[in-house]
Amino acid sequence: MPKTLVVAWREFRHTAMTKAFLIGAIIMPLLMMGLFIVVMPLMMEANTTPMTGTVAIIAPLDVLEEFQTRISSNENPNAEIIDQLPDIVAQDPIASAMLNQTRKNETNIVLKSAKLSEIETLKEDVRIGDMAALIVVPEVLLSDQASRSDERLELFIPSSFSPNHTDLLSSAIAKSVVDVRLHRLGHDPSEMHAMVKRPRITATRLANNGGEKADNEVARRIIPMAFMMLLWIATFTSGNYLLTTTIEEKGNKVMEVLLSAVSPLQLLGGKILGQAGVSLIMLLMYGGAAMAGLVTFALLDLIPVSYLLYLIAYFTMAYFMIASIMAAVGSAVTELRDAQSLIGPIMIILIIPLALWPILSEHPNALVATISSFTPPLIPFVMILRITASTETIAAWQIILSMVIGFAAVLGMIWGCARVFRIGVLMQGKPPSFLQLIRWIRQG
Amino acid sequence: MTGAVEIRGVSKSFGETKAVIDLDLDVPTGSLCGFLGPNGAGKSTTIRMLMSIIHADEGSVQVLGTSALKAKDRIGYLPEERGVYRKMKVGGFVEYIGKLKGVRGSVLRKRINEWLERVELPEIRNRRCEELSKGMQQKVQFLAAIIHEPELIILDEPFSGLDPVNARVIGRIIDELHQQGRTILFSTHVLPQAEKICDRIVMIDQGMKVLDGTVCSIQEQFDPRVIRVEPVDSNCNLSRISGTTLIENTNKDTHLLMRLNDNIDATEVLKQIVQTTPVRGIEIVKPTLDEVFIEQVARSRGQEAALQVREEMFHA
Repeated sequence: MPKTLVVAWREFRHTAMTKAFLIGAIIMPLLMMGLFIVVMPLMMEANTTPMTGTVAIIAPLDVLEEFQTRISSNENPNAEIIDQLPDIVAQDPIASAMLNQTRKNETNIVLKSAKLSEIETLKEDVRIGDMAALIVVPEVLLSDQASRSDERLELFIPSSFSPNHTDLLSSAIAKSVVDVRLHRLGHDPSEMHAMVKRPRITATRLANNGGEKADNEVARRIIPMAFMMLLWIATFTSGNYLLTTTIEEKGNKVMEVLLSAVSPLQLLGGKILGQAGVSLIMLLMYGGAAMAGLVTFALLDLIPVSYLLYLIAYFTMAYFMIASIMAAVGSAVTELRDAQSLIGPIMIILIIPLALWPILSEHPNALVATISSFTPPLIPFVMILRITASTETIAAWQIILSMVIGFAAVLGMIWGCARVFRIGVLMQGKPPSFLQLIRWIRQG
Repeated sequence: MTGAVEIRGVSKSFGETKAVIDLDLDVPTGSLCGFLGPNGAGKSTTIRMLMSIIHADEGSVQVLGTSALKAKDRIGYLPEERGVYRKMKVGGFVEYIGKLKGVRGSVLRKRINEWLERVELPEIRNRRCEELSKGMQQKVQFLAAIIHEPELIILDEPFSGLDPVNARVIGRIIDELHQQGRTILFSTHVLPQAEKICDRIVMIDQGMKVLDGTVCSIQEQFDPRVIRVEPVDSNCNLSRISGTTLIENTNKDTHLLMRLNDNIDATEVLKQIVQTTPVRGIEIVKPTLDEVFIEQVARSRGQEAALQVREEMFHA
């Protein structure tokens, strides 16, 4: 086995086949997914315990009857909001499962009509827990003067009252008041609600080539971010490992033993290759989990195959860019805290795609997006964002040019990194400044 | 016969600092050569060039008949600054270095077990390096340096930090490797150590070679200035012998040490002593390597520099 591969295997083995990596990079994401898919719905179900007890209500009789009807119907207080949610959320099996849970608002309460003169006694009953709640509906809110009145509905509840149950009572009484107003004006509330319900909209994008594609606003915003974050997490996690293992080898003084057996370039190549395997595992874990989720919920058509091919290409580009930066910095310092001052300026540049994500995904063909597509080391992050966000195909020449510039930059960065690495690995003591690193690259 | 190491006109600078200056060095195959000099003399820089870890600014470096780079796998190297992967198991660490040096599979694993037995550490194979004492770690590093059975073994301060028992174990193995015909280049600033085990010495100071030859030939190059006398009568008074200064004997031995003053003929002094008192034994003491080195520094850089070197060596 060539020495580079021996180094690569050790680097991979001692990073990816450790408890820390298994827990941090593999088990934790799986646990998070499990949390969202299994535990959260269970917790929500557990949360929706039926409301029980007596609710006193100081209101006209027709309001009391309407309120009784609404409470008995177990209607979700947020049903209107849920009905207006976009299709991608409403049709999502996980989300819809959660929403269905929230639709169930079983109650087991007794309504008690009360007089205004009893209010203080009733409030005391609520305070000590003898009564679940007290509702006060001023008469003026039911008249045609309601919109000009400062009066409000009042709800008194114990300090430990569930927020869900508070929503339930608030929503039910407010809707009851509106329905009673409509009744008093001679209208059928259900007809009126049907009339004012906003219709759903289907947006279809008509492409220049004659094709039609349903617009999916949420997917258009989430998917680009997910792709960019996938690149970011996979490359920076392994890049960070590369940084720390290089510093460790310098700090442990094992570097000289290694260099007596391999050349600096073989060592660098092996380390970068080994961590590439780690990075690939991260990409497959997180990307694979996301894809599995999409397959499970029959949403795979949101991700064309071309996206995956671009992801592989730009992942390769991003990894070698980040790895060469991290290896160079790791070789130049002897302690992790010294590395921060060198990585800081680079991180400021690399954070640009994250900071500009909303703008880039909204305007993927804007001038700033195009320029940053040809600017190393932003290229892979910006391009994957643009490709997945754009509603129109990104011009082929831009993709090709970004690949050419990007991979040329990769070669240049590895070359520069090798020159820094060769000098840096044997240096001890005070860390070099950024300018000194550039001098090392020039001197080689 | 080709020498194991042939260095010609090698110079190496780091910025303004000249670490090695126009160095010529030959280490014959099969020799146990001491590479000596005080701290900062340029020993480690020279060794790093032999290992092709760094490259000479000028001159040529040939190792085992080829370039240093090509000979890398035929050299074993124990650097002055010891290092292990703290979280790695001992067996894994030695195996990793062995693989990098081109040894593979079952042969390597068998060798590791054998060598761990030989250094009296058979039980540590599955222990993490960080769990070992400093002495044990040094033994492990020594094993990593020789596990691939190299033709040339370069040991930079191999005994530093070792207790006498472990130093003896390592010393015995070095001797065995030498007996097997391997060439050993042994770098140290502790000259008496080298004097004991080396058959050849190269001394450098301030990046330049100051001495090169067998231990005997080097000692002969320097005028012996001390006479060792064992008188029959331990109370005899030898202070009357002209041209000498009595050296205090701190070992409470029965012999006396007398330093010859400058320009005094040793033969004349021997005659005077024998005429003054009956003796059981009398000899001209060969200079130690410490004394040789200090004398050499005095010749090349003056008495003040020699005094400074003596002070440094005394405190080392």
